[in-house]
Amino acid sequence: MVKKADKYSPAGLSRKAFIKNAAWTLVGTAIAPTLLKARAADVSGLGSCHNSGDSRRYILKNVRLETGFEYKEGEVVATRTGLFCVEIQGKKILSVKHNEPDATAVDAEGRLMLPAFRDMHIHLDKTFYGDKWQAVRRLPGGVKGMIQLEQEILPDMLKNSAYKAGKLIELLQSKGSAFARSHVNIEPTSKLLSLRHLQAALDNKKQSFGAELVAFPQHGVFYTDTAPYMREAAKAGIDFIGGVDPYTVDGAIERTMDFTVGLALEFDKGIDIHLHETGDSGLRTVDYLIKKVEENPKLKGKTYLSHCFCLARLDQAKQQDIALRLAAAQIGIVSTIPFGGLIMPIPTLLKHKVKVMTGNDSIIDHWSTFGTGSVLEKAHLAAQLYGKRTEFDLSRMLALATAGRTPLNDKGVRIWPAAGDPSDFILMDASCSAEAVARISPVKSLYYQGYKVF
Amino acid sequence: MSEFNNKRQNSYIVKNALLETGFAREESANGSFIHATTTALQNVSIENGKITRVWSGDIRAERSEVIDAKGYLMLPAFKDMHVHLDKTLYGLPWQAVSSRRKTIYDMIAYEQQIIPALLKTSTHRAEQLIGLMQSYGTTFARTHFNIEPTSGFRSLENLQKALENVKDRFDADLVAFPQHGVFYTDSAALLTEAAKLDSVRFIGGVDPYGVDRAIEKVLDLTVGLALDNDKGIDIHLHDSGKEGLDTVEYLIRKVEENPSLKGKTFISHAFVLGRLDAKVLSGVAERLAEARIGIVSSIPFAGLVMPIPVLTRHGVQVFAGNDNIQDHWSTFGSGSMLQKVHLMAQLYGWTSEYDLSRAMKFATGNILPLSDEGVRIWPAAGDLAEFVLVEASCSAETVARISPVKAFVHKGNISWTADL
Repeated sequence: MVKKADKYSPAGLSRKAFIKNAAWTLVGTAIAPTLLKARAADVSGLGSCHNSGDSRRYILKNVRLETGFEYKEGEVVATRTGLFCVEIQGKKILSVKHNEPDATAVDAEGRLMLPAFRDMHIHLDKTFYGDKWQAVRRLPGGVKGMIQLEQEILPDMLKNSAYKAGKLIELLQSKGSAFARSHVNIEPTSKLLSLRHLQAALDNKKQSFGAELVAFPQHGVFYTDTAPYMREAAKAGIDFIGGVDPYTVDGAIERTMDFTVGLALEFDKGIDIHLHETGDSGLRTVDYLIKKVEENPKLKGKTYLSHCFCLARLDQAKQQDIALRLAAAQIGIVSTIPFGGLIMPIPTLLKHKVKVMTGNDSIIDHWSTFGTGSVLEKAHLAAQLYGKRTEFDLSRMLALATAGRTPLNDKGVRIWPAAGDPSDFILMDASCSAEAVARISPVKSLYYQGYKVF
Repeated sequence: MSEFNNKRQNSYIVKNALLETGFAREESANGSFIHATTTALQNVSIENGKITRVWSGDIRAERSEVIDAKGYLMLPAFKDMHVHLDKTLYGLPWQAVSSRRKTIYDMIAYEQQIIPALLKTSTHRAEQLIGLMQSYGTTFARTHFNIEPTSGFRSLENLQKALENVKDRFDADLVAFPQHGVFYTDSAALLTEAAKLDSVRFIGGVDPYGVDRAIEKVLDLTVGLALDNDKGIDIHLHDSGKEGLDTVEYLIRKVEENPSLKGKTFISHAFVLGRLDAKVLSGVAERLAEARIGIVSSIPFAGLVMPIPVLTRHGVQVFAGNDNIQDHWSTFGSGSMLQKVHLMAQLYGWTSEYDLSRAMKFATGNILPLSDEGVRIWPAAGDLAEFVLVEASCSAETVARISPVKAFVHKGNISWTADL
C-alpha cells in the first residue's frame, strides 16, 4: 500500500494548503491562511489614542449596512442598504455615521458588514483536521462502542490536539466565525489534558478568536468515573457543565442531571447537554431539565440542550407545548440542522421564541467527516430544509449563523450595528443578508474585538 | 471566482498525478473491512484529447511537454446532468424568489413576462454560469433550454453562442424543453422544429399531467418526435400521486414498445418514486432498469427524499445535477457536483471509505477510478482526456470534504489555478 502521506511530500503541499481542503466557497476565494495572521497591524496606525481603556480607534468607510426592507403589495421584495462610516474603538463599535468616501479610513469597498459568525456547537479539542484523511469506521455497540474507541485513540489524538485545534480555529475564521462554544472532553482517559491543550490553543488565538467552553463528560458521568474530573474542570476556566444522553450512557436520568445541575449551581456555570435520545427517555430528560431550571431560576438563559432529537419525533401539538415551556424556562436549543432521517422543528421553536443556535459539531473526526466549518452553510441548509426562500425569510435565517444577531429586526428597522455593540464583524461580497444566506457568499474580512483577523 | 489559465495542447504528459490503485482492508473482530484507498503517483500521457498511456518511471527521456500535477488526485471530470444554462439570474443583481407565484401557471405567466429581457443578456450569463461550474471541475452538462412561444428559438441560439465561446473547455448535450407545456401554450410546432436540429440531443417535457392535463397525448408527441428524429428523451416529472405514476408507467410502456429508446430515455426529478411504498417502488425500479430508463435527480432533501439507493440496487442508471443555480425558481444551487455528492453522502448515510468512494460516481456521470472490487478501471489508454486534479488523497476524502479543484481538462485542454 502506498501511504497517504505520498500526496504531501512529493507535491510539497504545505499544511496551509491542507486547510483549504474544507473550503466550500468558490475555488480561489478560500482565504489564504497566511492572511489570517495579518491582524491589528493594518488598522493600528489609524485614528489617535484616547483616554478610554482601549486605545485602538479607527474608522471603516464605504461599509454597506442594511437599512430596511422594500415592500411591494405587502411582500418584502428587497433589502435596502447604504454606505456608512463605522467607527471602532477597541472591543466596541463607537458610532455609525454617514459615509465619507474621502475620509482617512480603512476602505470596506462597499462590502456588506454583518455580525461575525458564531459556531455554537463544536468539538475543537477532538479532531483529525490538519491530520491525514480517514473515514469513519462503523463500530458495533452504539455510543458505548464509541466510548471504547475513544479510550483507545484519545491518548494518541491528544499528542497534537493543541496544534489541530489551532488549525480548526483558522478554518472557522476563514468561514467568518470569530467565536465558538466548544465542548471539551472530560473523562478518565483525557482527564483535564484535552481542556489544557485547547486552552493553550485558544490563548494563542486570543486576539483573533473567542470561545466559551463546555466541560463535556463524553464517557458518561458515572459510566466511567468522570464525576471527580468534572468537579475539577468546573474550577478550571470552563463556562458550561456538559453532558451526554444521561439515560443511555449512565442508565439514570435523575442522578446524572442532579449532578450536572448541582455542579452548575455550585460553580455558577451554564449547562449544555448533548441529548441524542429520540424516545421516551429523551423527552423525560427534557422534562426533568425544564423542571430543574424552573426550580433554579438563575439557570434561565444559560441552559441549553444540544441536538435534542426527541423534539423531532413529537406530534405538532406536543412540539408546541414543549417549545412554550422551553421558552418560558429560557432553555435554548443548539442544533446542527440534521436532515434526511430526522428533521428538527426549528421553525416551531423559533415561532415560540425559543433561542435556537447552530454549530458544525464534528468537522472531521471519528464521529463524522462532513463538517465544513461554516455556520453560514448551516443557515443555508436550514433555509433549504425549511423552505425559507423569500427575501424576508432568507434574511431571518442569518440569525442561525450569528447566534441571534441580525442587522434588521422583523419590521425592517436597523438594530445592528449600534454604538456599544461588540466590534466583531465580517465584510462580505454580498448585497444583503438574504443573498449571503442563499448564495453562501464569500467572507472577505473578519474582525474580532476590533482586531482585523484578515 | 477563481482565475483558471487555459491552454490548448495536443500532446503532453501529466507527471506526479495521484491515482487510486485499490482498496486497503483491515482485519478486525467483526471481519475484514475497507479502511483506506491505496494510491500511487504516476504519469499520464495525453494525445489529441485522449489518454494514451498511464505509466510509472522516469520522464526525463520524454520529448513531450510535461505538466506537474504536484501530487494532486486525478479524477474523472464532473458532469452536471440537469441544469438550465439558458435561463439564469447568475451574474445579475441579487433577487430572491417571490412567495406570490405559487403554481406552475403563475410561473409560466411570470416567465412570459421576464424572458424577453432575460434573453438580451442570456449568452453572457450562460458563460458566467459555465465559469462557475468549471471552477468546481465540471466540463460537461446536460442542459435544458426553453422552447416556447415567448422565447421561440432565441434561448437556444443564445445558448449555442455561449457554448461555442467555451467549446475548448466545456461541452453540453441539449434538451429541447417545452417549459410552458406542449399544448398549454402553443409549443408543439416549435418542439417539432427543434427536434429536427442536429444540435438537439433530447426531447424534453414537463409534467404532462400537471401542465397539459394530458399524459398520453403529450408523451405520444414526445416519443414520436424522439423516434422520428433519432433523439433521446428527458422529461421533467414533478407530478406525484396517481398521475405521476401513470406518467412513469406510460413512458415505460412506450420505451418497451420502441426498444431504440432504451438507454436514451430519462426522467428528471421523478418525485413520485419518493412517495411509493417499498413494494411498488421495487416493481417500478425493476421495470425502469429493464427498459433502461434513467433517473436524473437534483437530490432533494426537504420533505421528499429520493430512493436513490433502491434505484441503483435495481440497476437503474441515476445521474445528478444542480438544476437551478440562481434563478426565479430557486436561488440555492451551488454549481458544484462535489457539493451534490457530499449532500448525497450525508443524506443516504454513506460514511465509510467504501461508500464515500462509490458516491463519487454521481459527480462524474458514473465513471469511477476503481471498480467495486477495487480494481483500477480509470484512467486507461483510450479514455477521453476529461479529468480534474483535486487537492485530496482519494475519492472518499474528496466527497466527504468537498476538496478544492486545482485543474480541469476537457478534450485534452488543461485549465488550472495559480496553485498548480
